[in-house]
Amino acid sequence: MSSKDSCRNELRFAIRQLSDRCLYSAAKWAAEQLVGIEQDPAKFTPSHTRFQRGSSSIRRRFRTNEIASTPTAGVSYVSTPVLEEDEAVDGDFYLLAKSYFDCREYRRTAHVLRDQTGKKAVFLRCYALYLAGEKRKEEEMIELEGPLGKSDAVNHELVSLERELSTLRKNGTVDPFGLYLYGLVLKEKGSENLARTVLVESVNSYPWNWNAWTELQSLCTTIDILNSLNLNNHWMKDFFLASAYQELRMHNESLGKYEYLQGTFSFSNYIQAQIAKAQYSLREFEQVEIIFDELLRNDPYRVEDMDMYSNVLYAKECFSALSYLAHRVFLTDKYRPESCCIIGNYYSLKGQHEKSVVYFRRALKLNKNYLSAWTLMGHEYVEMKNTPAAVDAYRRAVDINPCDYRAWYGLGQAYEMMGMPYYALHYFRKSVFLQPNDSRLWIAMAQCYQTDQLQMLEDALKCYKRAANCNDTEAIALHQLAKLSKELKRSEEAAFYYKKDLEKMEAEEREGPNMVEALLFLATYYKSQKRFEEAEIYCTRLLDYTGPEKETAKNLLRGMRIAQSGFPSMDIEHLPP
Amino acid sequence: MAAVLKPPGNFTVTPHKMSVCILLQIYAPPAQTTLPFPFPFSSVAQHNRLGMFLLALTKSCDDIFEPKLDELITQLREIVGELDHQLSDHLTCRLSSLSSPDDLFNFFSDLRGILAGPDSGVVVDDQIILDSNSNLGVFLRRCILAFNLLSFEGVCHLLTNIGTYCKEALSSCPAYELPHLDDSSNEVEALLVYENMDLENFVFDKVTEETEARKMASERVSFHIHAPKALFGLIEGIITSVLCCKVHSSSFPLNAFESILRQLQKLAPELHRVHFLRYLNNLYHNDYPASLENLHCYFDYSAGAEGFDFVQPTSSASNSFGRYEIALLCLGMMHFHFGHPKQALEVLTEAVRVSQQQSNDTCLAYTLAAICNLLSAIGISSTAEILGSSYGPVTSIGTSLSIQQQLFVLLRRSLKRADGLKLKRLVASNRLAMAKFDLTHVQRPLLSFGPKASMKLKTCPVNVCKELRLSSHLISEFGTESSIMITDGVFSTAWLKNLQKPMGSLVLSLENASGANSNAFHFCAQPNSIPGSVLQLLGSSYLLRATAWEIYGSAPLARINALVYATCFGNASSSADVALAYTKLIQHLAVFKGHREAFAALKLVEEKFCSISKSRILLLKLQLLHERALHLGHLKLAQQVCDELGVLASSVTGVDMELKTEASLRHARTLLAANQFGQAAAVAHSLFCMCYKFNLQVENATVLLLLAEIHKKSGNAVLGLPYALASLSFCQSFNLDLLKASATLTLAELWLSLGSNHAERASILVQGALPMILGHGGLELRSRAYIAEAKCYLSNPSFSVFENSEVVLDPLRQATEELEILEYHELAAEAFYLMAMVFDKLGQLEEREEAAASFMKHIKALENPQNEQDPLFNIH
Repeated sequence: MSSKDSCRNELRFAIRQLSDRCLYSAAKWAAEQLVGIEQDPAKFTPSHTRFQRGSSSIRRRFRTNEIASTPTAGVSYVSTPVLEEDEAVDGDFYLLAKSYFDCREYRRTAHVLRDQTGKKAVFLRCYALYLAGEKRKEEEMIELEGPLGKSDAVNHELVSLERELSTLRKNGTVDPFGLYLYGLVLKEKGSENLARTVLVESVNSYPWNWNAWTELQSLCTTIDILNSLNLNNHWMKDFFLASAYQELRMHNESLGKYEYLQGTFSFSNYIQAQIAKAQYSLREFEQVEIIFDELLRNDPYRVEDMDMYSNVLYAKECFSALSYLAHRVFLTDKYRPESCCIIGNYYSLKGQHEKSVVYFRRALKLNKNYLSAWTLMGHEYVEMKNTPAAVDAYRRAVDINPCDYRAWYGLGQAYEMMGMPYYALHYFRKSVFLQPNDSRLWIAMAQCYQTDQLQMLEDALKCYKRAANCNDTEAIALHQLAKLSKELKRSEEAAFYYKKDLEKMEAEEREGPNMVEALLFLATYYKSQKRFEEAEIYCTRLLDYTGPEKETAKNLLRGMRIAQSGFPSMDIEHLPP
Repeated sequence: MAAVLKPPGNFTVTPHKMSVCILLQIYAPPAQTTLPFPFPFSSVAQHNRLGMFLLALTKSCDDIFEPKLDELITQLREIVGELDHQLSDHLTCRLSSLSSPDDLFNFFSDLRGILAGPDSGVVVDDQIILDSNSNLGVFLRRCILAFNLLSFEGVCHLLTNIGTYCKEALSSCPAYELPHLDDSSNEVEALLVYENMDLENFVFDKVTEETEARKMASERVSFHIHAPKALFGLIEGIITSVLCCKVHSSSFPLNAFESILRQLQKLAPELHRVHFLRYLNNLYHNDYPASLENLHCYFDYSAGAEGFDFVQPTSSASNSFGRYEIALLCLGMMHFHFGHPKQALEVLTEAVRVSQQQSNDTCLAYTLAAICNLLSAIGISSTAEILGSSYGPVTSIGTSLSIQQQLFVLLRRSLKRADGLKLKRLVASNRLAMAKFDLTHVQRPLLSFGPKASMKLKTCPVNVCKELRLSSHLISEFGTESSIMITDGVFSTAWLKNLQKPMGSLVLSLENASGANSNAFHFCAQPNSIPGSVLQLLGSSYLLRATAWEIYGSAPLARINALVYATCFGNASSSADVALAYTKLIQHLAVFKGHREAFAALKLVEEKFCSISKSRILLLKLQLLHERALHLGHLKLAQQVCDELGVLASSVTGVDMELKTEASLRHARTLLAANQFGQAAAVAHSLFCMCYKFNLQVENATVLLLLAEIHKKSGNAVLGLPYALASLSFCQSFNLDLLKASATLTLAELWLSLGSNHAERASILVQGALPMILGHGGLELRSRAYIAEAKCYLSNPSFSVFENSEVVLDPLRQATEELEILEYHELAAEAFYLMAMVFDKLGQLEEREEAAASFMKHIKALENPQNEQDPLFNIH
């Protein structure tokens, strides 16, 4: 990792360049990382940083740092030369154009820059055109179709933009920002391979544009594609990889990267939120809650990622905390999809599913590709017993992201509810394929095999075995395995599973009917195996319980004592007591 | 041809509709003429033709595809002839002059002028005014209304669309002149169609009378009712056109069509049927994962009911379930298609259960029919094996019955259910299934015990005939119903599309089928009021007839039925079925005209089906190649072909039984030709066991006959006799007349080889079989019979060659002639040998030498098959 100072300087410089080109979200991201870097207490004085901003000395210092910095052992980072501005002072037209842009008058921006040839001006013109096209597209979408349906609206600027940018790229007169825009256009047009190449070019020559990385990441749908990218080693690549791993469901790898990054960016809210996301996927809800608590304390008006926090609160059934969160985001910005989703979650927890659906629908109106809202709405419809609507919602979710195992699982559940277990199996299969380490999915599939209609017990057994192997916290799988084996008259296996189940229950200090059942079976089994000592232990333990099992245990004990006392058991049973 | 896809939904103003409106303005100019030319028509007939055309255009306006401007202009030229330049110029000028929203506004207010006002009593002389209640008037009013309902954004969109509509026409100008080529033949036909059209729909305001008005009013109502259903119709239209497309085009690349569908999906996302089409396309190209995915996707979105709207979660509980049982039915059929009988049965069982729960009797009936199909198509040795842990309708009948009996009971139940529900198509298809069942299965009482139980086992050709006849009743029912079944719009669309198609020759024979196939197909592509599915069913009945006659042994009847199918139903049926019909015809050619002709025909058919239904045509090719290789003594090639044949079959037990039987039968025959009797017998024996296990009794008759042949050739005639007799009795119970004749012939040959004292008996057998063989047998069978006949005479001690040489020589001559055509060296050599011997006896040395030379030729060819350069093998 480069030194904190050099990161800081790079970022400072980048933020200025990015906001100069109106790439505001990338600038925002960079600024968040900048303040996330731990301040060197020796150098830190409030005036110091304030003083540095905007001064021309930055560039000079930055350059010397580049040369002086030596890569740390292990990873060698390439030093990316700083982008030389082609015009030292922005032209008057550029200033006008930028202010139009800031007022969201995109076409006016483009018009003002129509004759400018500087790279910066060309980029801003193209970018403004692109955004104008996007805006028109969104409007047309609403004009032609309801926001929940798809529509054939397209960005009309794409064709001309692609033509212009590809000529620029051929002539070699395109800067990294232009490449980023070109990649974006290519991606929208569906030529993904070229888009990837162009975006890689862009991030290799200018790594601080997080937008470019995000676009690149959305094009890496498999690990093979990710590995085939020819990326320079820059610390921004670590951010990229961490996020890409997360998207590819390699949560532990992703966590590792983020923890490594935290060494430098120890105060970055972004990294914290991403870690929370990974922990959430690993179902470590406690940790997620702690992280979000802290995040909210530092950044109380944050709405991003808060829907995930609400999911955690939902899962933990924290009514008041969830309502508090909902109220807070509602006051901050009620027309954010995340806010609507949080409110939806709150109503769902309250059991008011109709209201909950209303808010999920609003979230989807604001962002129709909001994956988790579709899935959550599906859950609500399932609760409302409106299975066709649930199926539809889930299906939309998997069409947006075919890797969403929750939606596949929901589809399976919905069909199972409708009494179509065989049909449901298809969906369960999909879901376990995507998330093979989730015992709940395996158990659901097993239960599907076990239904009265199918009675495919062998397959159910296989599923339960998988479930038991992947950390089944509720210990349903072991118990079911034992029970099924007993039903199938495989007492040896049944005894094995009962014993395991018993051990687990002891370790977790759980009591209940399952315990009795296990003890009873084991006692009988060992007796039939003539392993009286073990049988006796289980019988004695049974004596602690009330109910018919106690009597059975007593009888078993009596029978064993008689058998052990030397008499052949056959004779004894015929004798009067 | 049509490529503009308009947004589905309600009646919206589109550029095409505006073109129609402009033409309407020309047709019925407003009183204060603003047209650049006065009434332009040279004759009333021309004027009327334009009117008819406009009527058809308005009626087909609900079609999802609208013609592009240049297409419209081309059509226009067909109608108005020399006037078209004037009209089309006006049309394009008028359209391109619309450049601002206000132009549009004025345009539509002008349109009002050509409608008759409420006081239509005042008529200026000669002025043509559209009655506002007529079809054209209603159309105009709907356009005006739709425009008035548009928001400003909508008007802007319309302007943009008009721009692209005109631009596209200009850019495709070169194509403008092309369709003129076949005009001359076309015009007359087209005119005939006009005159036949119902003039009642043709409206002039002058003839508006009260009765007429009432009629129009009622029509208008139905028009409106029809409108919301339009979408349904349109997609139905696309599906049929797509399916037609599949039948028509010889090559059908998966990706090309897939990309069209993807585009369609993007344009009309709520048309979930696109998913279904994608499913069909993938199914067609045997892409299992993709078909599965798309099928699930379709039903997830549509809930089995197209247009299901999830926006209304408050709908009543009764119909909130959707119709997912249909999904199960489709999934079951898909598994069946891919050869997964076990899964198919599981899914169909679930379908039965869910249909019962939802009391969807129709689906239940279809599901039962599907199960019947499944059971009859796959070989099932025992129910338990396939049903596994699940229970279902099959097992519930009772496990004591054999699978065949269960199938019979199921078929009967399914038929009864379909009949009760008045599902005519299903009844017809059930009857076909029944006929298929009757064809190959012995009728025996379900409970056969007691002294009176008849032990006579026989198939019932009468039943087959009856079922086939009953299934054909379907068409007469649809013939009378057609007017109700078909909506006006669809009919008009079809008519418009056919404007440019030549009405070609109505005769289809195999020879010109592929040479000029476009002609042949258009005969059927005329607007037809009978739904495609009905035609398809009817076609299958002919195909089944052909198969039945093939089995019963009447070659001419089999051929005629296959021909009828290929001629009349080729257009309406699946390519697999068409391929089957062609296969039958080519097999017939091979048997009766020799392999050269068969290969020539095969080549034509291969071109036609170059990529699709490969397996059926490929199978035929392999069969022909194998036959021919055997005849020529090219045994290595025969074995190779035979192996390739075997590979085509699925490895799953119980699937592709037909193919598996065929492969092992041919394997045994190859071994027999190589004189490896032991192995041949072993293969035949295991084949017999398999057929017995899977209840393929008809095939067993063939296998038994083969065993008899093997023993005959190995010189063990005594061992062969029981097999021949068994085969004979099988043939008798299954009414396999031709096979029976063949078995009789083998029996006679066996007796002959037992010595001359059996010659009399053999002769009687041969004579008995001759009428059947000469009437229906192919070249090979006939020549075998001739040779056997001659041999009978020759080995009869009381027969003297000198007295009656022609009795022997004539059949031998016949045999050699036919065997030369067939190029069957082994048998030909035998015939020539016998001939030479006879000539030798008679002392006709010259003829003897000639026959001997021929004998030598065939023997040599048989011994050195590689020397022969056969061009026919090269196509392999």
